[in-house]
Amino acid sequence: MESLFARYRNLIVLLAILLVQIMGLAVQVRRTNEGRRTVDPRDTPGVRLIRLWAEALVAPPERGIESAKMAAIHTWQNYADLRHVREQNQDLQKTIDRLRLEQASLLEDARQGERLQALLDFQHRYIYSTLAAQAIGSSGSDQSRVFYLDKGSNSGLKPDMAVITSDGIVGKVRDVFSSTAQVLVINDQTSGAGVILETTRTRGILTGNAAGQLEVVNILADERIKAGEKVLTAGGDLVFPRGLPVGEVEKVVRDPDRDGFIDVIVRPAAHLNRLDEVLVITNTQPRFSPEQQQDLATSESVAGAEAAAIKDQLKASQIMAERLPGLIDPSLPPEQQPLLDTSNPVPVAHPPMALHPDRFTPGADAVTPSDANNNQKPDFSEKPTTGKPQTAKPETAKPGRTPQ
Amino acid sequence: MSVLGANFRRDMEIRRYPLLVYTLVPLAALVLQAWLPRVLGNYAWFDLPLVVTVYFALGRRSPIQGTLMGAAMGLFEDALSHHAIGVNGIAKTAVGFLAASVGVRIDVENRTIRLILNFLLSLLSSAIIVFTYRVLLGLDLEWQWFTELFRAIGNSLIAMVLFPLLDRLQIRE
Repeated sequence: MESLFARYRNLIVLLAILLVQIMGLAVQVRRTNEGRRTVDPRDTPGVRLIRLWAEALVAPPERGIESAKMAAIHTWQNYADLRHVREQNQDLQKTIDRLRLEQASLLEDARQGERLQALLDFQHRYIYSTLAAQAIGSSGSDQSRVFYLDKGSNSGLKPDMAVITSDGIVGKVRDVFSSTAQVLVINDQTSGAGVILETTRTRGILTGNAAGQLEVVNILADERIKAGEKVLTAGGDLVFPRGLPVGEVEKVVRDPDRDGFIDVIVRPAAHLNRLDEVLVITNTQPRFSPEQQQDLATSESVAGAEAAAIKDQLKASQIMAERLPGLIDPSLPPEQQPLLDTSNPVPVAHPPMALHPDRFTPGADAVTPSDANNNQKPDFSEKPTTGKPQTAKPETAKPGRTPQ
Repeated sequence: MSVLGANFRRDMEIRRYPLLVYTLVPLAALVLQAWLPRVLGNYAWFDLPLVVTVYFALGRRSPIQGTLMGAAMGLFEDALSHHAIGVNGIAKTAVGFLAASVGVRIDVENRTIRLILNFLLSLLSSAIIVFTYRVLLGLDLEWQWFTELFRAIGNSLIAMVLFPLLDRLQIRE
């Protein structure tokens, strides 16, 4: 037995290591509800530990290399700046004279700049909270388009935070360590973001393909989608806020797997292959200054006081309505009801008299059809004390004239 | 024909290196593999951990050490990605074992042989990765054959430059 092991020792070690890794892989793969197999996005503690070791091993040298690169660039730029400094000094002396003349006009520009600055500050109060971070490394594999940031949980980063640049979205934070974080770039095959085409308002899912291109999938064929159309985030994925630029349509190709569907290839707005400094959106709630928060609290308290006042008014009106006398008093006999009280100084308004009373006119029982055809002018006087409409008196009418 | 023959290679001495070389060179390969794609973008057609694995496996001529070295490099490479840990590990484990096994039988000092070995082992590594993803795990993985071809060529060219440099670091008695 011992000789057998010694003879096939190499092969046994190989098979054992392969077997362990295959078992480890099997643990990490799960089946989705749709029946597809996928890598479990939540790392098990063991896998997480291995990733932690790898990150702890690789991140410090990467950080050093990045710092050395930046120092070298800085040194070179300083050297380049020092060259031709004498000639530049003479040019600058001439420029100073010219600038003095322009100073007066610049004052006006400065005032305008102050106004714009104030406007910018106003705008900044309404954008989301962001954290600037430096990209320090990548996965090293084009099958896994991720990169590492020099900020981690110590700086407040959390998984699923959106990563952007001033040009557009970059990706989302996938894994966070103490001083670094792993960002999944939007052109990775496993990445996904809800997007909307700006003009056609077509919604779709943005993902990456094998070539590292962005493509919007699951879109029905639509001839209106043209190259150059801008693509924005739709805001429904709970990662990217709505309206951030993603890129523009580069071309539209048929979905090779499904008839009637197209894939929209998108040219990214951000330079995904050359990322240095990025912004991580740490909070998607609009920021309010202390003054604004105080204003909000004040307005809410005022609104509450107004609602209470309106409620009090309604209550008072109900009390008044209960206390006012009604037209029919059940405790009095019919002849003494307030409705028949003629002592009221303000008479009840009655409709005006009809110009041509007939048998349908209220209170016209005594008027005959012959009387109605006499075209006599009616008497519009009424007796306010009776409270009843008066019938017409035809004795003053002149024959042959019709009332106007 | 003088380059072939198991007995010929068994008689050759086993290369030994300072401990620092065993630790720093793989670490440098992992760090550069993670950092250089940021500079080169989509043109990073190389796999430095694979090249280093092949070098040490050929030099040590021990299949077990080649296997362990490949497994460690592959697992660390996987750990830096967001994919399942073990895919690169399996590929480089096999590559380390094969390189060490081949190193016993042929003359690996020959530059042409080094070039061809790196090219073939790179292609084998890519094939194992695709096989593991698609067949073993049943996952969707798009890949482009010309990218793998360019990576194999890039690994071979790097090996041509890197192997002589690393040869100078070995302990000579």
